[in-house]
Amino acid sequence: MKSSPDVSCINQDALFLTTKATELFVQHLALSSYKNGSGKGTNTLSYSDLARAAEESETFQFLTDILPKKILARDYLKSLEEMDKDDDNL
Amino acid sequence: MDGDSSTTDASQLGITGEYMTGSHFVLQSQDDEGDEGLNDHEDGNGSKDNLREQDIYLPIANVARIMKNGIPQTGKIAKDAKECVQECVSEFISFITSEASERCHQEKRKTINGEDILFAMSTLGFDMYVEPLKLYLQKFREAMKGEKGISTVTVTEGMGEELTDESFTNPLPAGIITADGQQQNVMVYTTSYQQIPGVQQLQFS
Repeated sequence: MKSSPDVSCINQDALFLTTKATELFVQHLALSSYKNGSGKGTNTLSYSDLARAAEESETFQFLTDILPKKILARDYLKSLEEMDKDDDNL
Repeated sequence: MDGDSSTTDASQLGITGEYMTGSHFVLQSQDDEGDEGLNDHEDGNGSKDNLREQDIYLPIANVARIMKNGIPQTGKIAKDAKECVQECVSEFISFITSEASERCHQEKRKTINGEDILFAMSTLGFDMYVEPLKLYLQKFREAMKGEKGISTVTVTEGMGEELTDESFTNPLPAGIITADGQQQNVMVYTTSYQQIPGVQQLQFS
């Protein structure tokens, strides 16, 4: 907590609450992501479930920067090519 | 630990000096995977230039355990999902803390307290956590009070015993002094507080 800038002192109650809140957060995130994934028949929680939860849920919006959806490099290069083609056409 | 002087050599232990002491070693060759500006500007601790992974994330085993508690029993968790949640957790803590800290500054207070944290959470959309957290906080405070109560009780009991010791020892020397001239009244000071008349007589037989 102290690695955040401008934070000087933290009360013991605050520390306890943050700890407990973190625990609840982890469970909440895990459950939401799991629900997203289980529709496809696997019971494994994967990275893409988490990324989807970050995008779809308003509560988890702050995670979108650190949880970008992964795409294959191949697809990325393809979309780059298409963008170049569009530029050429213009 | 070991008798060797090599235990003070951080490289042999496989961890960096700054993790161990925070003040004696500064390793400059440490490559820090681009940790988003957490590293260089630590206030009040100038020698901590690079933060290690264990400093910025909570232990992955703990994170994984809590995740497992949250999902149904049969679920499994991918390894990269665990690592990812580790990062999310650190992000969450920073997020709440900075919001609470901002509010604290606005109200010109220096210490973040429990109320600030709860307010920050409801502001940021985690208001579903607030009610359970209040209950937990209540239980925690009661538990803390209970501990403090026990420790004060033991202190007073100890003092009580000391007082009884003193109250018994003080009159006895006076008794002995005045009884010097008369053989019959010499009292034997034993560890028990009771005076044993039989013992007195035996002394002078």
